[in-house]
Amino acid sequence: MKQPPQKKDGPPVASSIAASERIGVDRSVEKERKKDLPPPRKQFDDESRGGRAKRRSVLNQPEARNRVELFRHLPPHKNGTQLPSLESKFFELHEKHPAVYKVGLQYLAGDLSGGNARCIAMLQAFQEAIRDYSTPPEKTLTRDLTSKIGGFVSFLIECRPLSMSMGNAIRFLKSRIARLPLTLSESEAKTTLCSDIDRFINEKIVLADKVILRHAATKIRDGDVLLTYGSSCVVEMILLYAHELGKQFRVVVVDSHPMLEGQKLLRRLVVKGLSCTYTQLNAISYVMHKVTRVFLGASSIFSNGTVYSTVGTASVAMVAHAFRVPVLVCCEAYKFHERVQLDSICFNELGDPDAISKVPGRVDVNYLDNLTDKQKENLELLNLKYDATPSDYISVIVTDYGMIPPTSVPVIVREYRKEYLLI
Amino acid sequence: MPYTNQAAALIHSVKAVGERLIAANPVELAVGNVVRRVLHIVREEDLSLTTAAMAGLNLSAESDDEDDTDRDNHPALSAAAIAAASRSTLRPPSLQTLLEDVPDSAAVPHTSSSGGDSEGKSKSADKSSRSRKLKHDVIEAVNELIQDISTCHELIAEQAVEHIHQNEVILTLGSSRTVLEFLCAAKEKKRSFRVFVAEGAPRYQGHLLAKELVTRGLQTTLITDSAVFAMISRVNMVIVGAHAVMANGGVIAPVGLNMVALAAQKHAVPFVVLAGSHKLCPLYPHHPEVLLNELRSPSELLDFGEFSDCLDFGSGIGAPLLHVVNPTFDYVPPKLVSLFITDTGGHNPSYMYRLIADYYSADDLVLERRTTSGN
Repeated sequence: MKQPPQKKDGPPVASSIAASERIGVDRSVEKERKKDLPPPRKQFDDESRGGRAKRRSVLNQPEARNRVELFRHLPPHKNGTQLPSLESKFFELHEKHPAVYKVGLQYLAGDLSGGNARCIAMLQAFQEAIRDYSTPPEKTLTRDLTSKIGGFVSFLIECRPLSMSMGNAIRFLKSRIARLPLTLSESEAKTTLCSDIDRFINEKIVLADKVILRHAATKIRDGDVLLTYGSSCVVEMILLYAHELGKQFRVVVVDSHPMLEGQKLLRRLVVKGLSCTYTQLNAISYVMHKVTRVFLGASSIFSNGTVYSTVGTASVAMVAHAFRVPVLVCCEAYKFHERVQLDSICFNELGDPDAISKVPGRVDVNYLDNLTDKQKENLELLNLKYDATPSDYISVIVTDYGMIPPTSVPVIVREYRKEYLLI
Repeated sequence: MPYTNQAAALIHSVKAVGERLIAANPVELAVGNVVRRVLHIVREEDLSLTTAAMAGLNLSAESDDEDDTDRDNHPALSAAAIAAASRSTLRPPSLQTLLEDVPDSAAVPHTSSSGGDSEGKSKSADKSSRSRKLKHDVIEAVNELIQDISTCHELIAEQAVEHIHQNEVILTLGSSRTVLEFLCAAKEKKRSFRVFVAEGAPRYQGHLLAKELVTRGLQTTLITDSAVFAMISRVNMVIVGAHAVMANGGVIAPVGLNMVALAAQKHAVPFVVLAGSHKLCPLYPHHPEVLLNELRSPSELLDFGEFSDCLDFGSGIGAPLLHVVNPTFDYVPPKLVSLFITDTGGHNPSYMYRLIADYYSADDLVLERRTTSGN
């Protein structure tokens, strides 16, 4: 998924569509469109691509214990047991910049989670790496820096697969590097790149969030009961902002095992004085009778309107739809992606299977301790991290471009993608 | 106790005990079901005995009798006796009985006064033998009921082979003994299939079921409840147990199953509910999420120690900021259920109300004793 757009790879299908539009359209724009067809994703079980990555890998691949057959195409989870050995290697690896290494370790340990936080941390680490970079002799800045960034990205992928937001940010950075005018000196190029990254973070994430807050707050009325699932930073900001504006509403926080992210959100909301109800995902049919609006966050939104978000979001949206409760998804536009996805199995991320058998805070749930070998042979544990919500369950998507229906996502991707690439 | 009264007295005492049992835990619907089954058994046995007795009276009236003293009185008495007998049986309320409102005990001296003393003596002899027969029949029928309830798992499991074929993927949530036996019966018949078990928070009974299934050699995958929507597109059938089945075909099931049923409907996956016939409740559900639900302790969701600052209701604001909701049951409406598999076979949800007539009497739906008003 992290591969740069291949300039040769556009399949001939695009040309037949473009043929009908050739009359009014410029040749160069058509070429752009062909180039920008998303390359097929790297599949974990694809031997031809897997071999190269393995040789360069820093982490040891965990042994394939109880891998669910259906998800063989996804890389297995890297658990935190590798952390101590990696920390000791911190000063040995010279080709990885320490800032990038640190961010990678934070991903592996699970300290950094959430699409925006991970993206910002990664971009800031790249900024530091760019500042410390110096072009080796007989190499051009653009090509060498691009390959260096590529190396950093493969390291980060090994720690934890990239989120869509990170993928888009990396594409932005690489296109900025490629468009650097050749007349610039090295230090000017570096400062340009760093300021571009700053502008990206500021415009696409920070200011976008402020715009989303203002739009979403208009949808909250006094007396509302708002439901949210898991812990999304944007939804949290919306709730706190609406509370500051003085609106009277109640919040229902729905949580699920094994991540239990809702507890962190719950604590932060109660501290600020919001009245909250806390429940777990199975009880959603019980609480949905009283709910007036559902606010959800997203990791990414695909071009067919499918919302890719924390596992369980699809169930929440489905039950809300069955009870005729409007579902609002709040997502910055930089997370939109031109790929399409129909279900949650084609592309996903596998979490730690052992996290399922334990429940934090409940010592009585220890049924899966001490399994015999025969039992272990037949039992598989599956811990998915994401799922795909069909677009018919979503009422509106609140973005920094306004409030759009799910069918308008490919329009935003097409019309505004060039704008953010060129900034 | 005269026999005309015995069945009524029996019903009266069973209702008294049943009322107290039901009041102890109204959400446990199986208790009420069994009480009503016993009452139905008593009524049925009494009815069959009385029809046998009336048939006997008719025969004796028609036969050429050696007993001369009775023969003259017979035609007149038999009509009165039949009338008395039919009045004393526990027939369903009709307008006539409601208007009469004669308590059963008052009817007794009426019937005995209509007969002569000799008739009375032979009748009393009959009465005592009939009362013993009623008792005997009722006890036998109740024993059969006990037997049925304990063997319902086998009868349901026998039907497993018809529904599960090779290379199927089955989804279930939580743990149910009926489902376990059902799946193992299919495995015994050499059908190879896989099972996805959703863990069923917050009790996590799915872990237990998964452990049981792998012990018996079934390929099992344990998934989280949140992943049900993601995985259900690859599932062939959803098989779950029920806490109770209501008269409209709706199901009171462990929490989370409404979500699973909605996902199954969206993906056109059959949603099969396994329930023994003792779980069929003759009541219609009104607001079942609240009235037929039980809320459990919040400590299963939140650790009180960790959240003690949020749960501090003593802080002077007044209204508590944090509520925790932990329901035990979910209501699944009948339109989401594809099939009920009971020990009497497979049924559509729209058919379940007919089964009620087999097991329950209309008089017993409301178990509060009617206060006798002296009209």
